[in-house]
Amino acid sequence: MRIIVDEARCEGYGFCAEAAPHLLELDDEGDLKVLSEEVASGDAAQAEAAVRVCPVAALRLEP
Amino acid sequence: MTGGIGSGGDVVVVGGSVAAVTAADALRQQGHEGSITVVSDERHAPYVRPPLSKGMLKGAETPESVFISPLRADIDLRTESRAVGLDRGRRRVLLDGGEELPYDGLVVASGARARRLRPYDPQAGDAGELVVRDLDDAVRLRAIFAEATSLIVVGGGFLGMEIASTARGIGLAVTVVDQDPPLVRQFGAFLAEHMTRAALDEGVRLVRAPGGVELPGDGRPTAVRTFEGELLEADVVVSAVGDLPNVEWLADSGLGGPAGLLVDERCRVAPGIVAAGDVVARVSERISRPRRSPHWGSAIAQARAAATALLMGDEAPAYRPSPYYWTEQWGLDIKVCGEIVPGSTPNVLTGSLEEHSALIQWTRDGVPVAAATVNHRTPLVKLRKIATTP
Repeated sequence: MRIIVDEARCEGYGFCAEAAPHLLELDDEGDLKVLSEEVASGDAAQAEAAVRVCPVAALRLEP
Repeated sequence: MTGGIGSGGDVVVVGGSVAAVTAADALRQQGHEGSITVVSDERHAPYVRPPLSKGMLKGAETPESVFISPLRADIDLRTESRAVGLDRGRRRVLLDGGEELPYDGLVVASGARARRLRPYDPQAGDAGELVVRDLDDAVRLRAIFAEATSLIVVGGGFLGMEIASTARGIGLAVTVVDQDPPLVRQFGAFLAEHMTRAALDEGVRLVRAPGGVELPGDGRPTAVRTFEGELLEADVVVSAVGDLPNVEWLADSGLGGPAGLLVDERCRVAPGIVAAGDVVARVSERISRPRRSPHWGSAIAQARAAATALLMGDEAPAYRPSPYYWTEQWGLDIKVCGEIVPGSTPNVLTGSLEEHSALIQWTRDGVPVAAATVNHRTPLVKLRKIATTP
């Protein structure tokens, strides 16, 4: 499973990074970085929850 | 209050927006194994509201782009299903079709609806008054904007000013009417004045109507009459005059009131019942009158706290609000952490408002109470820290 960021939509709100801090992070410029390309199966529930708290629906998961 | 319901019970979540979605996710993340049924009166699957007054209204986004990633397969989502009553004794949610949903645990995330200036009967439908709350509202207004040249927005809060900015951006002549100067309550005088100047620079007309307004006529309004007697006219009039908590379905259960649904420090309402999102009213350390905090960030934090409290009861940690909200208007991208309370002093830490890029901290009696960025990308962790650390 992979987390895909639509960078044109992302406004750097940071909710996803708070929901899954070891998968996603805002860097010093406030831009979103995906820390782990592949989401381990044990992290799937956290990744799904992180994707769904984005206020502009800029994230999705790909199998 | 009591213990939690444990990990095996059946949970019903009433609501179909981010609070409901987050509560369902949080229950599963915390190991809940029983059934979870999400009951939404919307005809759409859950979607995000923040773009509705911005990109969606402008026509830059398609309705498909605002949908939240589909819920997990082990969560049962029922759309077009309205909760109309609650039987606490028998632990059942009553649906409009006559069905009764039994529950061991209930999450109330029934949200809020737009307040209207004209009398409004939800069952009979609207009387032509335009608001922006749901996806269908935004889609309809976008089509109306495409045929219009002038707009009056009643209400100069977050939503009203965002609608005004979007409409001005696509070329409409825009007037904003409010009883008070715009945005002061939400952003404090310092920032509100800057935002208001930006609106005036874009050619928006601001009208004060201290006594309030009415929408004369029937059908879709094309005029606003102020209490002082001034008549303003435009092709389109949109009302952005706040929201009302959806508590009516709880009336017979003795829960909820005009201020919202009161929760304790763990987002609990009653044994086996928790709540999150725009419907929730809480008392804070600072203000003892129950208040709602109808923001995205509050909905998410409350949903997580509510899920934990439902499962763990008194063992759950208390909910500690950490306010975070934002707006985009007149080319200004503003994010705020904390509360810009009356009597606090703004200090510009980086940049300046004149350069339209700034990092601002508010202090009261030397203690930080809030921080904001204006067109200044900053990690949320850092902004939260500046809002709370001297």
